[in-house]
Amino acid sequence: MEMNMQALLLEFLKALPINIIIIIMSAALGLLFAVLLTILRIKKIPVISQMADLYVSFARSVPGLILLFIAYFGIPKILPLIGLSSVDVSPMHAAIISMGFYHSGYISEVFRPAYLSIDKSQHDAADSLGYTPTKKFFRIILPQVIPVALPGYGNGLVYLIHDTSLIFAIGIVDIMGTAELFISRSDGTNQIFIYFIIASMFSAMCFTADSLVRKLERRTAIR
Amino acid sequence: MFDLKASYDMFLGILGVLPTTLLLAITILVLSTLLGVVIALIQQYKIPVLVQLIGLFKLFLRGTPMVVFLYLMYYALPAMGQLIVSLLGIDYNMNNLSPVIILVVTVSLTLSTFQSEIIRGSFLAVDYGQIEAAHSLGYSFFQTFKRIIAPQAFVHAVPDFANSFTVAIKATSLGFLITVIDIFAQAKIMAAQNFRFIEAFLMVALIYWGIGILITKFADRYENDVRIK
Repeated sequence: MEMNMQALLLEFLKALPINIIIIIMSAALGLLFAVLLTILRIKKIPVISQMADLYVSFARSVPGLILLFIAYFGIPKILPLIGLSSVDVSPMHAAIISMGFYHSGYISEVFRPAYLSIDKSQHDAADSLGYTPTKKFFRIILPQVIPVALPGYGNGLVYLIHDTSLIFAIGIVDIMGTAELFISRSDGTNQIFIYFIIASMFSAMCFTADSLVRKLERRTAIR
Repeated sequence: MFDLKASYDMFLGILGVLPTTLLLAITILVLSTLLGVVIALIQQYKIPVLVQLIGLFKLFLRGTPMVVFLYLMYYALPAMGQLIVSLLGIDYNMNNLSPVIILVVTVSLTLSTFQSEIIRGSFLAVDYGQIEAAHSLGYSFFQTFKRIIAPQAFVHAVPDFANSFTVAIKATSLGFLITVIDIFAQAKIMAAQNFRFIEAFLMVALIYWGIGILITKFADRYENDVRIK
């Protein structure tokens, strides 16, 4: 029993990097895509903006679990159609892509209101001072958008970490997958204890993300 | 590779389970709102011990994914229930506890903290002048609450409640892990029969999307119609 628990903890620690990699990669992908989505939605380009809106409403109303399954079964079928039949898609890729896209839908809905919250007079003032559009965005608008967007972004990050607990459903042996294997090997004992360990591991990740975002909030606060 | 006929059959098959899913989500919404009222009251009146417990529970939920919480409840709830039942002296085997109940309890508990925030927020959003006006007109405490505060707070809360309803519907998709058959589980079962996984999951996504759009539209219209101008 004692030995077993030690072995379990060791297995958990071995599986943890998989969770962390997926979280970091999908957070990066999600951020990139969300920025793109937000630009498309703010610019009001006909057709494209509407498509971006449609995409956001899709990503926000479909459970992450289903996007995960669609990516897992769908990407290997779509790739040959665009001439990439030799590319091997692992469950990891499917997880990163689906979680990233899911995340982007959520945080794009954080970024857009944050951008729109900036007073129009700020734009006018920058224009009247002869700022170029790029300069205006990076010097005037963005520094004001970031403090508004950060709390919502932090929530999005925490939800992303929560959602990555589903990736074991497509056969990835992350900490949840390890727990399942361990439980079936030990004939279903100590499940409550095992899931408490998992809960504390996820909590540790969430609170780390939370404190990182809070640190950023303090640094970017407008004084 | 994409079979339209199969997709259509899937769509109809999945729609057949939709009422069950909606019923589950409505049950969850009602239960979590009731619990949310209790939590909001406890926090408002700062009832010792209970406030701290709720704070701890919120901290737990902030860090723990719903799947993990669901599994914890799946293994812990029958044992806890058995203890309570045996203390009450009722002869019932809690191991027969339906997974549906476990799902409903888990999601309701998770949502209840959100609901309590919504309820608190919507009551705070009612202008204090309204209450003063009611008092000056001689309304009693309960009359003020029933005729003045509650209707206004309700209007504030509806958009957020609609959002919670979407969350509840999405959360029921986790039910397949503990053998509850909602629309997602039904899709998985149907897909396993003819290996048309893409069609099945796309159809489920379509149904969820449709529900999401309907709920948003309803909330928007309600807001426009009822908002006190």
